[in-house]
Amino acid sequence: MLAIHDLQQGTRESYHERHMKKRVALWFALCIFVVALPAWAQAPTRAILRTSDGKPDLNGVWQVLNAAAWDLEDHNASLRVPAGQSVVEGGEIPYQPAALAKKKENFQRREANDPAEAACYMPGVPRATYMPFPFEIIQNPKLITISYEFGHTRRSIFTDGTPHPDGFPDFWMGDSRGRWEGDTLVVDVTNLDERTWLDHAGNHHSDALHVVERYTMTDPDHLLYEATLEDPKVFTRPWKISMPLYRRMEKNVKILEYECVQYIQEQKYGKAKPVGAK
Amino acid sequence: MRRILLHIAAAVVLTMASLPMLQAQQRTAEKWTPPRTADGHPDMQGMWARRGVAIAEANAPKTPLSEFGTTGQPYPTVFNTGVSTPQAASALANRPSGIIEPANRVLPWRPEADAARREFLSHMIPPASLKYVEASARCVPPGLLGGDDRHPYQIVQRPGSLVLMYEYNHVTRVIHTDGRPHVGPNIRLYMGDSIGRWEGDTLVVDTTNFNDRTSFSQTIPFHSDALHTVERFTLIDPYIIDYQLTIEDPKMFTAPIRIAGTFAAAAKGSELMEFACAEGSQTLPNIFGFGLFPEQ
Repeated sequence: MLAIHDLQQGTRESYHERHMKKRVALWFALCIFVVALPAWAQAPTRAILRTSDGKPDLNGVWQVLNAAAWDLEDHNASLRVPAGQSVVEGGEIPYQPAALAKKKENFQRREANDPAEAACYMPGVPRATYMPFPFEIIQNPKLITISYEFGHTRRSIFTDGTPHPDGFPDFWMGDSRGRWEGDTLVVDVTNLDERTWLDHAGNHHSDALHVVERYTMTDPDHLLYEATLEDPKVFTRPWKISMPLYRRMEKNVKILEYECVQYIQEQKYGKAKPVGAK
Repeated sequence: MRRILLHIAAAVVLTMASLPMLQAQQRTAEKWTPPRTADGHPDMQGMWARRGVAIAEANAPKTPLSEFGTTGQPYPTVFNTGVSTPQAASALANRPSGIIEPANRVLPWRPEADAARREFLSHMIPPASLKYVEASARCVPPGLLGGDDRHPYQIVQRPGSLVLMYEYNHVTRVIHTDGRPHVGPNIRLYMGDSIGRWEGDTLVVDTTNFNDRTSFSQTIPFHSDALHTVERFTLIDPYIIDYQLTIEDPKMFTAPIRIAGTFAAAAKGSELMEFACAEGSQTLPNIFGFGLFPEQ
Protein backbone atom coordinates (compact mmCIF):
# COMPACT_ATOMS: atom_id res chain seq x y z
CA MET A 1 0.00 0.00 0.00
CA LEU A 2 2.70 2.38 1.00
CA ALA A 3 4.63 1.37 -1.98
CA ILE A 4 1.67 2.13 -4.21
CA HIS A 5 1.11 5.56 -2.54
CA ASP A 6 4.76 6.44 -2.96
CA LEU A 7 4.53 5.40 -6.50
CA GLN A 8 1.38 7.47 -7.13
CA GLN A 9 2.89 10.48 -5.34
CA GLY A 10 6.01 10.16 -7.38
CA THR A 11 4.06 9.87 -10.60
CA ARG A 12 2.00 12.93 -9.73
CA GLU A 13 5.12 14.97 -9.02
CA SER A 14 6.85 14.03 -12.23
CA TYR A 15 3.63 14.74 -14.15
CA HIS A 16 3.64 18.28 -12.74
CA GLU A 17 7.29 18.68 -13.60
CA ARG A 18 6.74 17.53 -17.15
CA HIS A 19 3.71 19.77 -17.54
CA MET A 20 5.72 22.71 -16.31
CA LYS A 21 8.58 21.99 -18.74
CA LYS A 22 6.15 21.68 -21.61
CA ARG A 23 4.56 25.03 -20.77
CA VAL A 24 7.95 26.77 -20.60
CA ALA A 25 8.98 25.23 -23.90
CA LEU A 26 5.73 26.35 -25.56
CA TRP A 27 6.09 29.91 -24.29
CA PHE A 28 9.70 29.95 -25.43
CA ALA A 29 8.79 28.75 -28.89
CA LEU A 30 5.97 31.29 -29.13
CA CYS A 31 8.31 34.13 -28.11
CA ILE A 32 10.85 33.12 -30.76
CA PHE A 33 8.11 32.86 -33.37
CA VAL A 34 6.77 36.33 -32.53
CA VAL A 35 10.24 37.90 -32.52
CA ALA A 36 11.39 36.15 -35.70
CA LEU A 37 8.13 36.48 -37.66
CA PRO A 38 8.78 39.89 -39.31
CA ALA A 39 12.32 38.93 -40.35
CA TRP A 40 11.15 35.57 -41.69
CA ALA A 41 8.38 37.22 -43.67
CA GLN A 42 10.64 39.88 -45.21
CA ALA A 43 13.92 38.07 -45.85
CA PRO A 44 14.29 35.94 -48.99
CA THR A 45 13.79 32.28 -48.29
CA ARG A 46 17.32 31.53 -49.49
CA ALA A 47 20.29 33.88 -49.76
CA ILE A 48 21.68 34.50 -53.26
CA LEU A 49 25.09 33.04 -54.09
CA ARG A 50 28.06 35.38 -54.29
CA THR A 51 31.35 35.26 -56.16
CA SER A 52 34.72 35.52 -54.40
CA ASP A 53 34.69 39.30 -54.91
CA GLY A 54 31.34 39.54 -53.09
CA LYS A 55 29.16 40.29 -56.12
CA PRO A 56 25.93 38.40 -56.79
CA ASP A 57 26.88 35.21 -58.66
CA LEU A 58 25.01 35.36 -61.96
CA ASN A 59 26.74 32.26 -63.38
CA GLY A 60 24.32 29.76 -64.83
CA VAL A 61 21.81 29.07 -67.59
CA TRP A 62 18.80 31.44 -67.75
CA GLN A 63 15.72 31.87 -69.91
CA VAL A 64 12.59 33.99 -70.14
CA LEU A 65 9.06 32.60 -69.96
CA ASN A 66 7.03 35.11 -71.94
CA ALA A 67 5.97 36.09 -75.46
CA ALA A 68 8.04 39.27 -75.79
CA ALA A 69 10.09 37.82 -78.66
CA TRP A 70 6.94 37.88 -80.83
CA ASP A 71 5.70 41.27 -79.63
CA LEU A 72 6.80 43.45 -76.71
CA GLU A 73 3.30 44.96 -76.48
CA ASP A 74 -0.10 43.39 -75.72
CA HIS A 75 -0.97 40.95 -78.48
CA ASN A 76 -3.38 38.13 -79.28
CA ALA A 77 -2.29 34.68 -80.35
CA SER A 78 -1.99 33.65 -83.99
CA LEU A 79 -0.56 30.62 -85.76
CA ARG A 80 2.71 29.63 -83.99
CA VAL A 81 2.57 32.86 -81.93
CA PRO A 82 1.54 32.72 -78.25
CA ALA A 83 -0.53 35.58 -76.84
CA GLY A 84 1.20 37.91 -74.43
CA GLN A 85 0.74 40.88 -72.16
CA SER A 86 2.94 43.92 -72.71
CA VAL A 87 6.34 43.97 -71.00
CA VAL A 88 6.52 47.72 -71.72
CA GLU A 89 6.03 50.02 -68.74
CA GLY A 90 2.79 51.92 -69.47
CA GLY A 91 1.83 49.35 -72.11
CA GLU A 92 2.85 51.07 -75.37
CA ILE A 93 6.10 52.08 -77.06
CA PRO A 94 6.22 55.91 -77.44
CA TYR A 95 6.96 56.16 -81.18
CA GLN A 96 7.33 59.36 -83.13
CA PRO A 97 4.63 59.41 -85.90
CA ALA A 98 6.95 58.48 -88.80
CA ALA A 99 8.55 55.71 -86.76
CA LEU A 100 5.13 54.30 -85.87
CA ALA A 101 4.27 54.16 -89.58
CA LYS A 102 7.52 52.26 -90.18
CA LYS A 103 6.66 49.84 -87.38
CA LYS A 104 3.28 49.14 -89.00
CA GLU A 105 4.97 48.50 -92.35
CA ASN A 106 7.50 46.19 -90.67
CA PHE A 107 4.63 44.29 -89.05
CA GLN A 108 2.96 43.69 -92.41
CA ARG A 109 6.19 42.31 -93.89
CA ARG A 110 7.54 40.62 -90.77
CA GLU A 111 7.71 37.07 -92.14
CA ALA A 112 10.06 38.16 -94.93
CA ASN A 113 11.90 41.03 -93.28
CA ASP A 114 12.51 40.22 -89.61
CA PRO A 115 16.34 40.17 -89.52
CA ALA A 116 16.52 37.55 -86.74
CA GLU A 117 13.81 35.24 -88.09
CA ALA A 118 14.18 35.66 -91.88
CA ALA A 119 17.98 35.93 -92.05
CA CYS A 120 19.15 34.65 -88.64
CA TYR A 121 21.12 37.79 -87.91
CA MET A 122 22.23 38.28 -84.31
CA PRO A 123 19.18 39.61 -82.44
CA GLY A 124 20.84 42.65 -80.83
CA VAL A 125 20.24 44.03 -77.34
CA PRO A 126 17.81 43.72 -75.61
CA ARG A 127 16.10 41.22 -77.99
CA ALA A 128 18.70 38.48 -77.40
CA THR A 129 17.57 38.31 -73.76
CA TYR A 130 13.94 37.42 -74.52
CA MET A 131 14.39 35.15 -77.51
CA PRO A 132 12.74 31.85 -76.48
CA PHE A 133 16.14 30.17 -76.03
CA PRO A 134 18.39 29.73 -73.00
CA PHE A 135 21.57 31.72 -72.45
CA GLU A 136 24.49 31.29 -70.12
CA ILE A 137 26.11 33.99 -67.99
CA ILE A 138 29.87 33.49 -67.51
CA GLN A 139 31.04 35.81 -64.76
CA ASN A 140 34.55 36.94 -64.03
CA PRO A 141 35.43 40.06 -61.95
CA LYS A 142 36.48 42.10 -64.99
CA LEU A 143 34.32 40.56 -67.68
CA ILE A 144 30.82 39.14 -67.83
CA THR A 145 30.14 37.13 -70.98
CA ILE A 146 26.67 36.12 -72.11
CA SER A 147 26.51 33.15 -74.46
CA TYR A 148 23.10 32.87 -76.15
CA GLU A 149 21.96 29.58 -77.66
CA PHE A 150 20.21 31.41 -80.54
CA GLY A 151 22.82 31.42 -83.32
CA HIS A 152 25.61 30.92 -80.76
CA THR A 153 25.53 34.68 -80.31
CA ARG A 154 27.84 36.07 -77.65
CA ARG A 155 28.52 39.43 -76.07
CA SER A 156 31.16 40.71 -73.69
CA ILE A 157 30.19 43.07 -70.87
CA PHE A 158 33.37 44.72 -69.62
CA THR A 159 33.20 45.47 -65.87
CA ASP A 160 36.78 46.72 -65.54
CA GLY A 161 35.79 50.39 -65.42
CA THR A 162 36.66 51.05 -69.07
CA PRO A 163 34.44 53.44 -71.04
CA HIS A 164 32.90 52.80 -74.47
CA PRO A 165 35.75 53.06 -76.96
CA ASP A 166 35.90 56.13 -79.16
CA GLY A 167 35.24 55.87 -82.85
CA PHE A 168 34.22 52.21 -82.91
CA PRO A 169 31.84 50.96 -85.57
CA ASP A 170 28.42 49.60 -84.69
CA PHE A 171 28.13 45.98 -83.64
CA TRP A 172 25.16 43.63 -83.96
CA MET A 173 25.32 43.12 -80.19
CA GLY A 174 26.60 46.62 -79.39
CA ASP A 175 29.37 47.62 -77.01
CA SER A 176 28.55 46.83 -73.37
CA ARG A 177 30.21 48.34 -70.30
CA GLY A 178 28.92 47.20 -66.91
CA ARG A 179 29.14 48.36 -63.32
CA TRP A 180 27.64 47.22 -60.04
CA GLU A 181 25.15 49.47 -58.26
CA GLY A 182 24.87 47.61 -54.96
CA ASP A 183 23.68 44.16 -55.99
CA THR A 184 22.41 45.24 -59.42
CA LEU A 185 24.52 44.82 -62.55
CA VAL A 186 23.96 47.93 -64.67
CA VAL A 187 25.03 47.61 -68.31
CA ASP A 188 25.35 50.57 -70.64
CA VAL A 189 25.00 49.51 -74.29
CA THR A 190 25.87 51.72 -77.27
CA ASN A 191 27.17 51.16 -80.85
CA LEU A 192 24.08 49.12 -81.72
CA ASP A 193 23.54 48.32 -85.40
CA GLU A 194 20.33 49.91 -86.68
CA ARG A 195 19.43 46.81 -88.70
CA THR A 196 18.18 44.72 -85.77
CA TRP A 197 14.53 44.68 -84.71
CA LEU A 198 13.29 44.66 -81.12
CA ASP A 199 10.84 41.78 -81.72
CA HIS A 200 9.08 39.82 -84.47
CA ALA A 201 6.28 42.45 -84.62
CA GLY A 202 8.60 44.93 -86.34
CA ASN A 203 9.35 47.18 -83.38
CA HIS A 204 12.54 48.95 -84.39
CA HIS A 205 15.17 51.56 -83.53
CA SER A 206 17.92 53.61 -85.17
CA ASP A 207 21.70 53.71 -84.77
CA ALA A 208 21.13 56.26 -81.99
CA LEU A 209 19.70 53.57 -79.70
CA HIS A 210 21.13 53.62 -76.21
CA VAL A 211 20.13 50.78 -73.87
CA VAL A 212 20.67 50.61 -70.11
CA GLU A 213 20.08 47.13 -68.72
CA ARG A 214 19.70 46.21 -65.07
CA TYR A 215 20.14 42.62 -63.83
CA THR A 216 19.02 42.09 -60.21
CA MET A 217 18.90 38.71 -58.46
CA THR A 218 15.65 38.50 -56.52
CA ASP A 219 16.46 35.02 -55.19
CA PRO A 220 19.02 32.35 -56.18
CA ASP A 221 16.96 31.22 -59.16
CA HIS A 222 15.38 34.42 -60.48
CA LEU A 223 16.77 37.58 -62.06
CA LEU A 224 14.76 40.74 -62.61
CA TYR A 225 15.71 42.06 -66.06
CA GLU A 226 15.01 45.70 -66.82
CA ALA A 227 16.03 47.66 -69.89
CA THR A 228 15.56 51.35 -70.67
CA LEU A 229 15.63 52.25 -74.36
CA GLU A 230 16.46 55.76 -75.51
CA ASP A 231 16.51 56.73 -79.20
CA PRO A 232 15.77 60.39 -80.02
CA LYS A 233 15.39 59.56 -83.74
CA VAL A 234 12.59 57.02 -83.15
CA PHE A 235 10.91 57.49 -79.75
CA THR A 236 9.39 60.55 -78.05
CA ARG A 237 10.96 59.64 -74.68
CA PRO A 238 12.97 56.84 -73.03
CA TRP A 239 10.86 53.79 -72.22
CA LYS A 240 11.34 50.70 -70.15
CA ILE A 241 10.71 46.97 -70.30
CA SER A 242 10.99 44.52 -67.42
CA MET A 243 10.58 40.77 -66.98
CA PRO A 244 11.84 37.97 -64.77
CA LEU A 245 14.53 35.58 -66.00
CA TYR A 246 14.36 32.03 -64.71
CA ARG A 247 17.27 29.75 -63.89
CA ARG A 248 17.14 26.53 -65.91
CA MET A 249 17.07 23.93 -63.13
CA GLU A 250 17.52 20.69 -65.07
CA LYS A 251 20.43 18.57 -63.93
CA ASN A 252 23.34 18.86 -66.39
CA VAL A 253 21.60 21.64 -68.35
CA LYS A 254 23.91 23.22 -70.91
CA ILE A 255 23.71 25.50 -73.91
CA LEU A 256 23.23 23.38 -77.04
CA GLU A 257 23.16 24.70 -80.62
CA TYR A 258 20.51 26.56 -82.59
CA GLU A 259 22.45 27.10 -85.81
CA CYS A 260 19.83 29.32 -87.38
CA VAL A 261 22.13 30.45 -90.20
CA GLN A 262 22.58 26.89 -91.41
CA TYR A 263 18.83 26.12 -91.28
CA ILE A 264 17.89 29.29 -93.17
CA GLN A 265 20.54 28.56 -95.84
CA GLU A 266 19.02 25.10 -96.30
CA GLN A 267 15.55 26.63 -96.62
CA LYS A 268 16.54 29.40 -99.05
CA TYR A 269 19.34 27.78 -101.08
CA GLY A 270 18.97 24.06 -100.45
CA LYS A 271 17.33 23.40 -103.81
CA ALA A 272 18.77 26.40 -105.65
CA LYS A 273 21.25 26.11 -108.52
CA PRO A 274 24.28 28.37 -108.48
CA VAL A 275 24.33 31.09 -111.15
CA GLY A 276 25.96 29.66 -114.27
CA ALA A 277 25.80 26.02 -113.05
CA LYS A 278 25.16 23.42 -115.74
CA MET B 1 102.76 16.50 -52.12
CA ARG B 2 100.84 13.40 -51.14
CA ARG B 3 98.72 15.57 -48.90
CA ILE B 4 98.03 17.94 -51.77
CA LEU B 5 97.06 14.99 -54.00
CA LEU B 6 94.77 13.73 -51.26
CA HIS B 7 93.17 17.15 -51.03
CA ILE B 8 92.64 17.24 -54.78
CA ALA B 9 91.22 13.73 -54.77
CA ALA B 10 88.89 14.62 -51.92
CA ALA B 11 87.80 17.76 -53.75
CA VAL B 12 87.10 15.77 -56.93
CA VAL B 13 85.14 13.15 -55.03
CA LEU B 14 83.15 15.81 -53.20
CA THR B 15 82.44 17.68 -56.41
CA MET B 16 81.31 14.53 -58.21
CA ALA B 17 79.16 13.56 -55.26
CA SER B 18 77.49 16.95 -55.22
CA LEU B 19 76.90 17.11 -58.99
CA PRO B 20 73.61 15.24 -59.03
CA MET B 21 72.43 17.48 -56.21
CA LEU B 22 73.41 20.58 -58.17
CA GLN B 23 71.65 19.26 -61.25
CA ALA B 24 68.59 18.52 -59.23
CA GLN B 25 68.62 22.04 -57.86
CA GLN B 26 68.94 23.44 -61.37
CA ARG B 27 66.03 21.34 -62.53
CA THR B 28 63.97 22.58 -59.61
CA ALA B 29 64.82 26.16 -60.52
CA GLU B 30 63.79 25.49 -64.12
CA LYS B 31 60.54 23.79 -63.23
CA TRP B 32 57.95 26.52 -63.39
CA THR B 33 54.95 26.45 -61.11
CA PRO B 34 51.80 27.80 -62.72
CA PRO B 35 49.56 30.29 -60.90
CA ARG B 36 46.43 28.58 -59.64
CA THR B 37 42.73 29.34 -59.51
CA ALA B 38 40.87 29.24 -56.19
CA ASP B 39 40.00 25.58 -56.80
CA GLY B 40 43.67 24.64 -57.25
CA HIS B 41 43.97 24.17 -61.03
CA PRO B 42 46.50 25.98 -63.26
CA ASP B 43 45.19 29.46 -64.07
CA MET B 44 45.02 29.68 -67.87
CA GLN B 45 42.72 32.69 -67.91
CA GLY B 46 43.52 35.37 -70.43
CA MET B 47 43.83 36.15 -74.12
CA TRP B 48 45.63 33.70 -76.39
CA ALA B 49 46.69 33.37 -80.00
CA ARG B 50 46.50 29.87 -81.48
CA ARG B 51 49.30 28.50 -83.62
CA GLY B 52 49.93 25.28 -85.52
CA VAL B 53 46.52 23.65 -85.08
CA ALA B 54 45.97 22.46 -88.65
CA ILE B 55 45.88 19.25 -90.61
CA ALA B 56 48.24 19.74 -93.59
CA GLU B 57 48.57 16.22 -94.98
CA ALA B 58 51.37 15.05 -97.24
CA ASN B 59 50.38 14.33 -100.85
CA ALA B 60 47.17 16.36 -100.52
CA PRO B 61 45.03 16.41 -103.66
CA LYS B 62 45.14 19.62 -105.64
CA THR B 63 42.02 21.71 -105.23
CA PRO B 64 40.98 24.83 -107.14
CA LEU B 65 40.15 26.27 -103.71
CA SER B 66 43.84 26.80 -103.00
CA GLU B 67 43.95 29.42 -105.78
CA PHE B 68 41.74 31.57 -103.53
CA GLY B 69 44.45 31.75 -100.86
CA THR B 70 45.35 29.49 -98.02
CA THR B 71 44.97 30.02 -94.32
CA GLY B 72 47.89 31.71 -92.63
CA GLN B 73 47.78 34.96 -94.54
CA PRO B 74 46.92 37.69 -92.07
CA TYR B 75 43.88 39.85 -92.71
CA PRO B 76 44.63 43.55 -92.59
CA THR B 77 43.20 44.52 -89.25
CA VAL B 78 43.01 47.65 -87.13
CA PHE B 79 42.78 45.58 -84.01
CA ASN B 80 45.73 44.00 -82.30
CA THR B 81 44.12 40.61 -82.36
CA GLY B 82 45.82 37.26 -82.69
CA VAL B 83 49.21 38.80 -82.07
CA SER B 84 51.32 37.05 -79.47
CA THR B 85 53.87 38.72 -77.22
CA PRO B 86 57.59 38.87 -78.19
CA GLN B 87 58.34 36.34 -75.42
CA ALA B 88 55.79 33.94 -76.85
CA ALA B 89 57.01 34.58 -80.38
CA SER B 90 60.55 33.47 -79.51
CA ALA B 91 59.24 30.47 -77.59
CA LEU B 92 57.11 29.52 -80.60
CA ALA B 93 60.23 28.96 -82.71
CA ASN B 94 60.83 25.50 -81.25
CA ARG B 95 57.22 24.45 -80.77
CA PRO B 96 55.79 21.36 -82.45
CA SER B 97 53.18 22.26 -85.03
CA GLY B 98 50.63 20.43 -87.16
CA ILE B 99 50.47 16.67 -87.72
CA ILE B 100 52.93 14.82 -85.46
CA GLU B 101 51.47 11.34 -85.95
CA PRO B 102 51.84 9.79 -88.46
CA ALA B 103 55.29 11.41 -88.60
CA ASN B 104 55.35 11.45 -92.42
CA ARG B 105 51.94 13.26 -92.44
CA VAL B 106 50.50 10.66 -94.81
CA LEU B 107 47.04 10.21 -93.32
CA PRO B 108 45.70 6.67 -92.75
CA TRP B 109 42.74 7.11 -95.12
CA ARG B 110 40.16 4.44 -95.64
CA PRO B 111 40.22 4.15 -99.46
CA GLU B 112 36.46 4.71 -99.79
CA ALA B 113 36.64 7.86 -97.61
CA ASP B 114 39.57 9.22 -99.59
CA ALA B 115 37.67 8.59 -102.83
CA ALA B 116 34.57 10.28 -101.43
CA ARG B 117 36.43 13.44 -100.47
CA ARG B 118 38.20 13.62 -103.85
CA GLU B 119 34.82 13.33 -105.51
CA PHE B 120 33.48 16.05 -103.17
CA LEU B 121 36.40 18.38 -103.98
CA SER B 122 35.71 18.04 -107.70
CA HIS B 123 32.27 19.66 -107.20
CA MET B 124 33.41 22.64 -105.12
CA ILE B 125 34.59 25.12 -107.80
CA PRO B 126 32.15 26.22 -108.99
CA PRO B 127 29.95 24.73 -106.26
CA ALA B 128 27.43 22.27 -107.65
CA SER B 129 24.97 23.16 -104.88
CA LEU B 130 24.86 24.62 -101.37
CA LYS B 131 26.41 21.47 -99.91
CA TYR B 132 29.59 22.04 -101.93
CA VAL B 133 30.12 25.66 -100.86
CA GLU B 134 33.17 25.77 -98.61
CA ALA B 135 32.14 25.52 -94.96
CA SER B 136 33.78 28.77 -93.82
CA ALA B 137 32.01 30.65 -96.62
CA ARG B 138 28.71 29.31 -95.25
CA CYS B 139 29.65 30.47 -91.73
CA VAL B 140 29.55 26.90 -90.46
CA PRO B 141 30.95 26.70 -86.92
CA PRO B 142 34.61 25.74 -87.29
CA GLY B 143 34.81 22.48 -85.37
CA LEU B 144 38.12 21.88 -83.63
CA LEU B 145 40.38 22.23 -86.70
CA GLY B 146 38.62 24.82 -88.84
CA GLY B 147 39.24 27.58 -86.30
CA ASP B 148 41.52 30.38 -87.06
CA ASP B 149 45.07 31.41 -86.18
CA ARG B 150 44.44 35.07 -86.92
CA HIS B 151 41.79 35.79 -84.32
CA PRO B 152 42.39 35.52 -80.57
CA TYR B 153 40.92 33.12 -78.07
CA GLN B 154 39.98 33.83 -74.47
CA ILE B 155 39.92 31.43 -71.54
CA VAL B 156 37.79 32.00 -68.44
CA GLN B 157 37.76 29.47 -65.60
CA ARG B 158 35.03 28.83 -63.04
CA PRO B 159 34.76 26.09 -60.44
CA GLY B 160 33.51 23.11 -62.45
CA SER B 161 34.13 24.47 -65.92
CA LEU B 162 36.61 26.11 -68.27
CA VAL B 163 35.26 28.35 -71.01
CA LEU B 164 37.17 28.63 -74.30
CA MET B 165 35.92 31.49 -76.44
CA TYR B 166 36.87 31.89 -80.08
CA GLU B 167 36.71 35.33 -81.65
CA TYR B 168 36.40 33.42 -84.94
CA ASN B 169 32.69 32.95 -85.67
CA HIS B 170 31.97 33.84 -82.00
CA VAL B 171 32.12 30.21 -80.85
CA THR B 172 31.90 29.58 -77.09
CA ARG B 173 32.89 26.20 -75.68
CA VAL B 174 31.86 25.66 -72.04
CA ILE B 175 33.94 22.63 -71.00
CA HIS B 176 32.39 21.16 -67.86
CA THR B 177 34.80 19.45 -65.46
CA ASP B 178 32.16 18.55 -62.86
CA GLY B 179 31.99 14.88 -63.75
CA ARG B 180 28.79 15.06 -65.80
CA PRO B 181 28.40 12.62 -68.71
CA HIS B 182 28.17 13.44 -72.42
CA VAL B 183 24.74 14.36 -73.78
CA GLY B 184 22.65 11.57 -75.29
CA PRO B 185 23.88 9.93 -78.52
CA ASN B 186 21.11 11.41 -80.69
CA ILE B 187 22.17 14.98 -79.96
CA ARG B 188 24.54 16.06 -82.75
CA LEU B 189 26.44 19.33 -82.61
CA TYR B 190 28.73 21.30 -84.94
CA MET B 191 31.20 21.84 -82.09
CA GLY B 192 30.53 18.48 -80.46
CA ASP B 193 29.91 17.92 -76.75
CA SER B 194 33.06 18.60 -74.71
CA ILE B 195 33.63 17.13 -71.25
CA GLY B 196 36.85 17.92 -69.40
CA ARG B 197 38.83 16.44 -66.55
CA TRP B 198 42.08 17.45 -64.89
CA GLU B 199 44.93 14.95 -65.08
CA GLY B 200 47.37 16.64 -62.70
CA ASP B 201 47.92 20.07 -64.24
CA THR B 202 46.70 19.07 -67.70
CA LEU B 203 43.12 19.69 -68.80
CA VAL B 204 41.99 16.71 -70.88
CA VAL B 205 38.91 17.38 -73.02
CA ASP B 206 36.93 14.53 -74.54
CA THR B 207 34.58 15.55 -77.34
CA THR B 208 31.89 13.40 -78.97
CA ASN B 209 28.39 13.97 -80.44
CA PHE B 210 29.74 15.74 -83.56
CA ASN B 211 27.57 16.05 -86.64
CA ASP B 212 29.23 15.47 -90.05
CA ARG B 213 28.90 19.06 -91.25
CA THR B 214 32.17 20.77 -90.40
CA SER B 215 35.37 20.54 -92.40
CA PHE B 216 38.96 19.74 -91.39
CA SER B 217 40.72 21.74 -94.12
CA GLN B 218 40.41 22.86 -97.74
CA THR B 219 41.35 19.36 -98.89
CA ILE B 220 39.39 17.47 -96.20
CA PRO B 221 35.96 19.07 -96.63
CA PHE B 222 34.12 16.81 -94.18
CA HIS B 223 34.49 14.20 -91.46
CA SER B 224 31.98 11.68 -90.15
CA ASP B 225 29.66 11.74 -87.14
CA ALA B 226 31.86 9.01 -85.60
CA LEU B 227 34.50 11.68 -84.89
CA HIS B 228 35.94 11.56 -81.39
CA THR B 229 38.63 13.97 -80.23
CA VAL B 230 40.82 14.29 -77.14
CA GLU B 231 42.52 17.61 -76.46
CA ARG B 232 45.19 18.22 -73.85
CA PHE B 233 45.87 21.75 -72.55
CA THR B 234 49.01 22.22 -70.40
CA LEU B 235 50.30 25.61 -69.25
CA ILE B 236 54.07 25.17 -69.51
CA ASP B 237 55.21 28.76 -68.84
CA PRO B 238 53.50 32.14 -68.52
CA TYR B 239 53.30 32.50 -72.30
CA ILE B 240 52.62 29.03 -73.66
CA ILE B 241 49.79 26.51 -73.41
CA ASP B 242 50.95 23.24 -74.94
CA TYR B 243 48.04 21.89 -77.00
CA GLN B 244 47.65 18.37 -78.29
CA LEU B 245 44.73 17.06 -80.29
CA THR B 246 44.03 13.41 -81.06
CA ILE B 247 41.50 12.72 -83.80
CA GLU B 248 39.75 9.41 -84.16
CA ASP B 249 37.26 8.97 -86.97
CA PRO B 250 36.97 5.25 -87.74
CA LYS B 251 34.70 5.90 -90.75
CA MET B 252 37.45 8.07 -92.31
CA PHE B 253 40.78 6.81 -90.98
CA THR B 254 42.19 3.45 -89.91
CA ALA B 255 44.30 4.95 -87.08
CA PRO B 256 44.25 8.01 -84.82
CA ILE B 257 45.90 11.23 -86.01
CA ARG B 258 47.77 13.45 -83.59
CA ILE B 259 48.21 17.19 -83.99
CA ALA B 260 50.30 19.51 -81.82
CA GLY B 261 49.91 23.24 -81.46
CA THR B 262 50.24 26.16 -79.13
CA PHE B 263 48.14 28.79 -77.47
CA ALA B 264 50.56 31.71 -77.06
CA ALA B 265 49.81 34.66 -74.78
CA ALA B 266 48.22 37.46 -76.81
CA ALA B 267 49.36 41.04 -76.64
CA LYS B 268 48.35 42.89 -73.49
CA GLY B 269 45.15 44.84 -73.91
CA SER B 270 43.70 42.69 -76.68
CA GLU B 271 40.06 41.74 -76.27
CA LEU B 272 37.56 39.70 -78.22
CA MET B 273 35.80 41.73 -80.89
CA GLU B 274 32.47 40.84 -82.47
CA PHE B 275 32.96 38.52 -85.44
CA ALA B 276 29.80 38.74 -87.53
CA CYS B 277 29.84 36.11 -90.28
CA ALA B 278 26.42 35.58 -91.82
CA GLU B 279 25.20 39.12 -91.17
CA GLY B 280 25.35 40.92 -94.47
CA SER B 281 27.60 38.34 -96.13
CA GLN B 282 27.30 38.49 -99.93
CA THR B 283 28.90 35.09 -100.59
CA LEU B 284 25.72 33.06 -101.03
CA PRO B 285 23.75 35.85 -102.81
CA ASN B 286 26.67 36.05 -105.28
CA ILE B 287 26.71 32.29 -105.82
CA PHE B 288 22.94 31.82 -106.12
CA GLY B 289 21.90 35.18 -107.50
CA PHE B 290 19.45 36.13 -104.74
CA GLY B 291 19.66 37.16 -101.10
CA LEU B 292 17.80 36.20 -97.95
CA PHE B 293 15.59 39.30 -98.02
CA PRO B 294 13.08 39.84 -100.84
CA GLU B 295 14.60 43.19 -101.89
CA GLN B 296 18.09 41.72 -102.30
